[in-house]
Amino acid sequence: MNKRRMSLFSRRSVLAGAAAAFASSSFAIAHAATFEEIKKRGYLLVATEDDFKPFEFVQDGKPTGFDNELLELLRQYAQFEVRQDIIPWTGLLAGVSTGKYDVALTAALITKERAKSLDFTAPIADATHYFVKRKGDTSIKEIKDLNGKILGIQAGSGLLQRLPELEAMLAKTNGKIGKVVEYTSYPEAYQDLGLKRTDFVINTIINIQALVKEKPNVFEVGLPVSGKSYPAWAVAKGNAELLAFLDGFLAEQKKNGNFAKLQEKWFGQAFPDLPEKWEPEF
Amino acid sequence: MSTADAMTAADLLSLLQGTVVTVALSVSGIAIGVPAGLALALLLWRRVPLLRHIIPLYVSIIRATPLVTLGLLIYFALPAMGLQIGPVTAAVVTLAINTTAFNCEIWRAGLIDFPRDQIESAQAFGMSWPHIVWRIMLPQVVRTCLPALVNEMTLLLKGSPAIAVIGIVDVTRAAVRIGANTYEPLPPFLVATAIYAGIVFVFVRMQRWLEAFSLRDEAET
Repeated sequence: MNKRRMSLFSRRSVLAGAAAAFASSSFAIAHAATFEEIKKRGYLLVATEDDFKPFEFVQDGKPTGFDNELLELLRQYAQFEVRQDIIPWTGLLAGVSTGKYDVALTAALITKERAKSLDFTAPIADATHYFVKRKGDTSIKEIKDLNGKILGIQAGSGLLQRLPELEAMLAKTNGKIGKVVEYTSYPEAYQDLGLKRTDFVINTIINIQALVKEKPNVFEVGLPVSGKSYPAWAVAKGNAELLAFLDGFLAEQKKNGNFAKLQEKWFGQAFPDLPEKWEPEF
Repeated sequence: MSTADAMTAADLLSLLQGTVVTVALSVSGIAIGVPAGLALALLLWRRVPLLRHIIPLYVSIIRATPLVTLGLLIYFALPAMGLQIGPVTAAVVTLAINTTAFNCEIWRAGLIDFPRDQIESAQAFGMSWPHIVWRIMLPQVVRTCLPALVNEMTLLLKGSPAIAVIGIVDVTRAAVRIGANTYEPLPPFLVATAIYAGIVFVFVRMQRWLEAFSLRDEAET
């Protein structure tokens, strides 16, 4: 699912982007509420997703996951009300850039492209890309074994943008990436991996660990296939005071240990060495 | 990977809630779109000045605009213009604007085909225009247009998942959520497919019933 997170130019993001561009250019009055305005009107409006396990998802009709638990803590921390809208990824960043929502409270991968229109908080997790394989597939033990194997990945994804990193790794042993099969969403990609239509799938370590935890008899975590990559919350570009408020909240949760506890709970591991600020390389 | 271990009772309940949302929004869109389309088609047919240029423009623009884009525009652009609008209202407006354009074309085709001699006869008897439209034209045009109108209704129903983009949880979105949670997308989507098929079946039965009804009606008059 981070596929879409990674590139502003995924199919659906293009629509959302077009709508956002249209909304902001033709009316020109769209602007994000400043922190002063948020305090004055008495509430902060955040948007979360509904199908991005383990960050935000819906179980038995209730929103849950890492970000939703952080949101509960944010409600206690803030001096004002925090309202939440749950919308699909497609409209989310458009909603923040048009000022409909103040914060994209989701795991949006920090990319160069997005940094042009959004400002990101401190990273909330490590999103280094790993591959996942079928449980007990002994033909894949090291990176070099991926040579010529069939890869499943989300279409139009930022993960695709970073495949050259894996290509470089394979090139060291004269290997090459095999056929690449693109999917509209990760659940389908996992299903095909289980059905042996593909040999491995690339996603972020957190998503893959969540998958393997759910289906330990079917899948197995592989090895890293990219350099550093981090997801974070996003606000409209230049909304510095709101960003400082959110960073202050995150720093507080790191200090009092809640942050590590939630990471442990939802990701299966804490990431104590996350940078305070991340300048994207891609 | 049977349906049983992949989906809980709560999942099925959320699909049913999604069904209610899908039906309610689609029916609202249809309830606005069918008469609105007729009104526009009549205005076009009567060659009302100015409107006869504006309506085709509206139809062309909407026919070329995907539902997702239209939904995003209405939900995000209207507040930027100072009009606050909730997701449900935005969804109904989106579906209605979309289906009105298509219904307008369907009604227009029905009106174009209407035999002029009937109208001239009615005029010869001194009937007023509203009277001619209501008593002479509509009963016949409705019958001609019904299959195409019901067809458009089923298309709208199946296009309605597009409005999930603004945070509405319809059948399809409920299925997406379940699949994202269980990592088994197939079972919820199969159930969703069956639900859509069931609703379309009801629409088609209704069409048959209306056709039979109007034929009987004709036999009596």
